[in-house]
Amino acid sequence: MSLDLKSNLQVEERNFLSRLDLNFAFAIFALNLIGLINLYSATHGIFHRDKSNLFWMQIAWLVVGWLIYLGITLVDYRSLVKKAYWIYGLNMVALVAVGFVGTVSYGARRWLDLGFFKYQPSESMKVFLILVMAKILAKMKPNSAMGIKELAWPALIVLIPWALTVKQPDLGTATLMLATSGSMILFVGIKRGILIFAALVGIIAAPLIWNFGLKEYQRNRVLTFLSPGRDPRGTGYNSIQSKIAVGSGRIVGKGFRKGTQSQLEFLPERHTDFIYSVLSEEHGFIGSFITLGLFFVVYLMSIKIAIHARDRTGSLIVIGVGGYLFWHMFVNIGMVIGLLPIVGAPLPLISYGGSSLLTTMLALGLISSVSYRKYLF
Amino acid sequence: MSMDWLKNDEEEAREYWGRYKYVYALVGIFFCILVARLWQLQIIEGAELRAFSEKNRVKETKLPAPRGLFLDRENRVLVDNLPGFDVTLTPQYVTHLEETAEAISPIIEIPAKEIVDTVKKSRYRDGPFRPVRIKDNLTKDEVYQLKVIRWDHPGLNVNEVIVRSYPLADDGAQLFGYVGEISRSQLPRLNEKFEGKVQFEQGDIIGKSGLEEVWDLTIRGKDGVSYVEVDARGREAPSENPIYFGFKPKPYEAGNNLVLTLDKDIQEAAYAAMNRNDEIGPRIGGVVAMKSNGEILAWVNSPSYNPNLFSTGISTKLWSELLNHPFKPMRNKVIQDHYSPGSTFKPFVAVAALQEKIINPTTLIHAPAQIIYGRRPYHDHSRHGYGYIPVTEALERSSNVFFYKMGIALGIDRIASYAKYLGLGGKTGVEVPHEVSGLIPTEEWKEKAYGEPWQPGENLSNAIGQGFVLSTALQMAVGFNAIGLEGPVVKPFIVQKIIDTDNNVLKQFEPEVVRDTSKPNAEGLVIDKKNFEVVKEGLRRVVNGKHGTARWSAQLREIPSIQAAGKTGTTQVRSWSADEVYKKCNLRPLNLRHHGWFVGFAPYDKPEITVAVLSQHSCSGSRGAAPIAKDIMLAYFRKYHPELMKDAPSRHVSESPPSDDEVAE
Repeated sequence: MSLDLKSNLQVEERNFLSRLDLNFAFAIFALNLIGLINLYSATHGIFHRDKSNLFWMQIAWLVVGWLIYLGITLVDYRSLVKKAYWIYGLNMVALVAVGFVGTVSYGARRWLDLGFFKYQPSESMKVFLILVMAKILAKMKPNSAMGIKELAWPALIVLIPWALTVKQPDLGTATLMLATSGSMILFVGIKRGILIFAALVGIIAAPLIWNFGLKEYQRNRVLTFLSPGRDPRGTGYNSIQSKIAVGSGRIVGKGFRKGTQSQLEFLPERHTDFIYSVLSEEHGFIGSFITLGLFFVVYLMSIKIAIHARDRTGSLIVIGVGGYLFWHMFVNIGMVIGLLPIVGAPLPLISYGGSSLLTTMLALGLISSVSYRKYLF
Repeated sequence: MSMDWLKNDEEEAREYWGRYKYVYALVGIFFCILVARLWQLQIIEGAELRAFSEKNRVKETKLPAPRGLFLDRENRVLVDNLPGFDVTLTPQYVTHLEETAEAISPIIEIPAKEIVDTVKKSRYRDGPFRPVRIKDNLTKDEVYQLKVIRWDHPGLNVNEVIVRSYPLADDGAQLFGYVGEISRSQLPRLNEKFEGKVQFEQGDIIGKSGLEEVWDLTIRGKDGVSYVEVDARGREAPSENPIYFGFKPKPYEAGNNLVLTLDKDIQEAAYAAMNRNDEIGPRIGGVVAMKSNGEILAWVNSPSYNPNLFSTGISTKLWSELLNHPFKPMRNKVIQDHYSPGSTFKPFVAVAALQEKIINPTTLIHAPAQIIYGRRPYHDHSRHGYGYIPVTEALERSSNVFFYKMGIALGIDRIASYAKYLGLGGKTGVEVPHEVSGLIPTEEWKEKAYGEPWQPGENLSNAIGQGFVLSTALQMAVGFNAIGLEGPVVKPFIVQKIIDTDNNVLKQFEPEVVRDTSKPNAEGLVIDKKNFEVVKEGLRRVVNGKHGTARWSAQLREIPSIQAAGKTGTTQVRSWSADEVYKKCNLRPLNLRHHGWFVGFAPYDKPEITVAVLSQHSCSGSRGAAPIAKDIMLAYFRKYHPELMKDAPSRHVSESPPSDDEVAE
């Protein structure tokens, strides 16, 4: 086995540039650039000159992110999958530790303060779950849908970190965790009976969760989403302001750094969660469409990589990471354009933030790693 | 081995190939959903949302219009506007309320906890976007210090405001009134009342009492608006190139000024007279001085309050002190309360008796110390009686028995019709709020109000201004003025002109005679001039006669060219037990002492000024009330007729007051 790895590495070293999927890397880099341009606009407004250093911070994160991307590309995903339970286990330790020694901010206990960096275990868990799920699901018989017996173990693996994340509370991350793993399970296929049963449970559980599971502010968010005019200056404020920002961009936008909504601080969190509204306001439908298009180019390329993956594990990793990226994007943009309730979720590759960027680049690095080892037909 | 492994891999991955079409489909569908939504927002609703975003950017700010000034008849400022600063917190934009409160607390010297409570309460009641005023009337130093820290505390604003100012302070406070923020309960009521004329908003300053209240619409002007570029925290953005997108700022229109009939000199004299420091001390009550055509010259109530405190937001402590003060500083006693007029009612009974031919000017009536009527004794205040006296002497000495007899002879209904004809028992119509109508009883009225018939004995008490008779000071002034003018009942007024800021006269108010009682009315009621003359002679003697009840205070009688006329009155504060315990009035507790009245006019033959003084708890009309009227009249004649005053003695007339004052029962 070690011999195999060594021979593989030798091959890789010889043909690094030709084996690296350059188109895929360029598409990602294009999204990074769009993110930087917007971040500059969002942080170099009339106010908050103190935020202008965020732009340079983000460039630093990008450099680190790309190093991780290329590094993971070189690492054989199969060796990572082999160590998946170890990685998962370590992450679980961190996740449990958060419950005891985590830093509280905005009323939630999500972070471990590592001094130089605030580490959010639930964030990395989203990625490492993909590895564990790929390992488990790849062992399933390919052409038979999973039954309860087969589902029990993967369900347990997902639900433990999920429950810990819900408790923090961090509903956004927990939901994305479930969506990513769920996408992988659905991709592999489950028995129709279970699907129907799950749907029924969902319908019955929904009102119960509504009444007893959700906190007041969470209920408010949903109500506000369903009817934003309910309280335009309170909970619905962000949603309405964001929609105004997006819509007011019209076709070509108001121009770089000329978005009044963002420059005059009508937009909340405009350098992180609402970065897409800055983009839509300043660059209009054309800018929004191109950015959205680039995301979908990345998804289509990922699907192609999954198809050509060397093995099922590789395909599953690509599907997992693709789902991860897709759901993050959908939740964020959906929130910005008023399709979904407001949840604090950044837009991958575009929003400011080291945590989000590094995990995304790590995840994309996994796709790159699968692509790097694909068969050439 | 290696080959096997590779082959297996390949086959494994191919097992999934059938599923990718679903993945493509799913991705395609979601892409279409997102693009469709972007299309809807940016292309279909784009124009509308663009307009929204422009409105967002440009904030409308109200420019409050300065209220009109109150000027006296010589255009001297009585009520003014001064520039000032206040500090507000807007809850929505405040990020750290406690921190901000801590930061401003030492500057404005208000405990941080109080600031936090105020803001929270307002946020709860009025929503997060309404600025909460923390302190008014900031000093220059406070303004500077607050402006320094303003940028660290979103939601903190120092605003330039107009502060209503009353240079006369508590002189005339109840007349001018005060201003304050419109209350939550007033808002819908006033908007309904003035629908189409003015739209009030939360936070607007309105006149809350007095002239400020009744003339509010005239003097409030129209607020303007300005547009500033702001961020979502309400801070003005220092934009180098403010574009207003067609939002044109609208300057305010200043309110119109009111030129009052008041004379600041007379007003100040009246205030000084009420707040004199003699053996009785500062008076409690109200005084009004009026030109004989109805122009009010002075209007003072005391004790008073400083309305400047209201302009800058009065503290609840002071407010409750004012409300609970035993002598009601907030009340406009000149018109808002009516009292038994006591002996000042006697001239009206005298007019009735003469006109109804009960007596003629020379009829002598026996006026002993007391009479028995219906097995009950009715006393005079003189223990000796006056013997046989005519009506003029009855007025001069303020004989009770004389007027008891008039009451018996006339009956209440005939007294009432003359009293009402002369202006009592009904509102004068002066444009000052909260005027009460007073009461002149009739037999019919008693039947209705009490369900009991009028008792003959009540004719006696009511004939000397006790019993049911009630009057305001202003009504007494109007009534005496009618007697002085020998007929005309005038409508007192206080606003002479409405002028705009460029001194153009918008409206002029002319003196108004409500009726001339010397001419018969529809019911044939008429008062002959000669009867007025008789009563006036009696009133002249009150001030100038040997036995006049107000003679000692009538400095005017030293001036041959001016003779004043008037009538004193003293009415008991009803407390029979006090009568038993205390023999002398000035030994009683202040709140149980008699009220003193003086109503008079001068010169008696051709009246120019009429003054009514109600001096509560001063024990007597002659000592409590008459000197105040005297001071006001002197001030008037010194100013308007200095030529007549040449003979005025510079020395103060010190003559001992009559030992027996007339206390009507």
